[in-house]
Amino acid sequence: MRAALGILGIALGVGASAVGVLLLALGIARKDVELVRAGRRCVFVVLAAAVIAVGAMEWALLTHDFSIKYVADNNARSTPVLFTITGLWAALEGSILLWVLILAGYIAFTARRFRSRLEDPMVAWALLVALSVALFFFVFMAVAANPFKLVDGTAPIDGRGPNPLLQNHPLMAFHPPMLYLGYVGFTIPFAFAVAALITGRFGEGWLADTRRTTLVAWGFLTVGIILGAWWSYEVLGWGGYWGWDPVENASLLPWLTGTAFIHSVIVQERRGMLRVWNLSLVLATFCLTILGTFLTRSGVVNSVHAFTQSSIGPWLLTFLGVVVVICLALIAWRADKLHAPGRIDSPVSREAAFLANNLLFTGLAFVVLLGTVFPLVAEAVRGNQLSVGEPYFARMTTPIGLGLLFLMAVAPALPWRAASGDVLRRRLLVPAYSGAVVMLVTLVFLTRTLATVLAFGLATFAIVAIFRETTLAVRSRRTADHAGWLKAFTGTVRGNPRRYGGFLVHIGVVCIAVALASAGSFGARQEVRLRRGDSVVVSGYKVKYVGTRTERSAQKTSVSADLALSKGGKSLGTYAPAVSTFPNSNSAIGTPSVRTGLLEDVYLTIVSSPNATGRITVGIAVNSMTLWIWLGGGLMALGTIVAIGPTVRRRLQVRAGAPQPPVPTEPVPEGAGV
Amino acid sequence: MLRRWLPWIVLAVLVVGALAYSAWPRSGDESVAAHTRRIASDLRCIDCESLSVADSATSSARATRADIAVRIRHGESDAEIRQVYVDRYGESVLLKPSSNGLGILVWALPIAALLIGAGGIVLALRRWQRQPRLVASTADEELVAEERARS
Repeated sequence: MRAALGILGIALGVGASAVGVLLLALGIARKDVELVRAGRRCVFVVLAAAVIAVGAMEWALLTHDFSIKYVADNNARSTPVLFTITGLWAALEGSILLWVLILAGYIAFTARRFRSRLEDPMVAWALLVALSVALFFFVFMAVAANPFKLVDGTAPIDGRGPNPLLQNHPLMAFHPPMLYLGYVGFTIPFAFAVAALITGRFGEGWLADTRRTTLVAWGFLTVGIILGAWWSYEVLGWGGYWGWDPVENASLLPWLTGTAFIHSVIVQERRGMLRVWNLSLVLATFCLTILGTFLTRSGVVNSVHAFTQSSIGPWLLTFLGVVVVICLALIAWRADKLHAPGRIDSPVSREAAFLANNLLFTGLAFVVLLGTVFPLVAEAVRGNQLSVGEPYFARMTTPIGLGLLFLMAVAPALPWRAASGDVLRRRLLVPAYSGAVVMLVTLVFLTRTLATVLAFGLATFAIVAIFRETTLAVRSRRTADHAGWLKAFTGTVRGNPRRYGGFLVHIGVVCIAVALASAGSFGARQEVRLRRGDSVVVSGYKVKYVGTRTERSAQKTSVSADLALSKGGKSLGTYAPAVSTFPNSNSAIGTPSVRTGLLEDVYLTIVSSPNATGRITVGIAVNSMTLWIWLGGGLMALGTIVAIGPTVRRRLQVRAGAPQPPVPTEPVPEGAGV
Repeated sequence: MLRRWLPWIVLAVLVVGALAYSAWPRSGDESVAAHTRRIASDLRCIDCESLSVADSATSSARATRADIAVRIRHGESDAEIRQVYVDRYGESVLLKPSSNGLGILVWALPIAALLIGAGGIVLALRRWQRQPRLVASTADEELVAEERARS
């Protein structure tokens, strides 16, 4: 019943997206708006189909319908309700269902937003492209990754339950949907980019049409990545939050090219340049989301030879290949027309800084991509196994990251076209000196690690520059409008939400950069064996082993150790890291207990459970500034929301006797550029 | 002229001085624990997914760390210690591919790509500098004025 409903949903999705693609294609070919309108209506049927399929799956999960293989594999009667619901994204087939639902949602939103522009071939083409992507995923589900496949024979009495790691923390409810909202959202700008290439209208129109969707997708992807890191920190128990694992890299890749894109579009909007480049970045971002799905879902990462064991790998790889070929062909076809007029006058200008930004972001993406796929290529070509891990990525990405931090400090203060020495001195000297002073202070009092010293200095540079730009803009509005500070501030932000939203995102990035840099230089970690009543001091924190407790539930059996934490004689409470065993898995899953602090976390884990003599081995790590990564992620999300907001233009106040706002002497007044 | 540039020159001297001091070789021996951690973080933990020996808490990783510490105390060089593990588990135990053989590509390609990209930007900037700047004709100005009047 539930399986039948689900399959009906998928079949309806295949049918509706196929009919929609057909109608749109016919409508475009015959220039018939009625056909396009009919095609647009199919979008909502596709959304309904996705809702039916997802609803059927959730229904099956909640009622523990173990006749469906996916439910039997990823759910058990003892699974708590939250992790029963999140079972939808506990494995590939269900994740594709979620993917399709989000994709259908995005397409329906786009179809609604552009309902009055259906005679515009750009919109029709964009819908057609997006629906084709949906068609692929529906067919993929129907043929290769059917989530409603039934078990062989009779249904088992109980299911296997989700992977222990996926039923251990409530963040699992948020991280994957956020990530998918980001991943899938890039389909819309991709569809418009392809439509722009096909219709030959690669001016700034498609950028304006997709600006908000792109930012929304980017914001979700950012939050998804940060939540993933947080989940990793709270669940995996190795003390870190980013392991340069292929799965993590796969989420980072489209983020990097997407970030490059949201910067370089500004140059196109402002100067009409970089058209081919922007189209390529959007196309590449979409391709990287497919590549990421392929890498993480086909099993290819573990071994090149694993991926032919299921048909998922070949399907995704073929789709990726087709998309790449179409993209390249479109760009080659339009190459002669894409050449944009315009020039960059000076290497010291906003647009030149954006070029450098794009170079570094795509360079970073290249490093991450190469490091991720290199072991596969090496194995496929030469048959020898190689590993590329954290030390490689750290070595390669640190200099690029520092370069980006430098650009982030300098670029927002650079004027468009060209900067004179005077302007540079006025805008950058104070921030630059502030950074230098912080560098010196860091060197003398904190650490001599080069990367950390540079990161702290550049972070200060960036923050002071942002602060200076904002204060000046607010101050000039205050004098012009005779308003109070608060009103002038909100007015300034609302007058140019992209610029100030961007600044807020940058402040978030600075928080994260500082946190990463201090994690590399400060902190301590130790493994100690303790008897009951023993205590140990690790960088000022005293940890006393009080005793262990065992808790049994149908879902899991946990052994937790009570550790009393204190610093300088002051108690900080008792923390209880645990080790759990799940009925469906042989390996024990450790759960760390973290005392979060503003500057330092104390991260406690059980390394080995108490033995016969009552001794326990605990891992004690003092991690520096980890909280700032999550805070920075929050600021980035907040900044994205600000940047999406509408621009509220200031009403011109022409009053007799009112002092005129100062006439800017530079090409672009401060606060006016993005 | 000098007065205009003086603040930047002072800044450059400060920054370069600070960086030089920071990069200056440190006196004093590295502790065995720090040394162990440095080597262990370049070795892949055999029985976990993409974690280093330094970061992992599995029993094999702990045994490896103890073994590295013993070898350091016996005075074996970093290269010798790494080689022991390469011999035992193969090349894939190194998280940082060695820079001979196929591994050189993973280091050289990104650097080459960045250099080519930077070169391309420099070339484009120079080409743009040589191009004459477009100047708006009176006809252009009139078009703009017309649009302005309309909106």
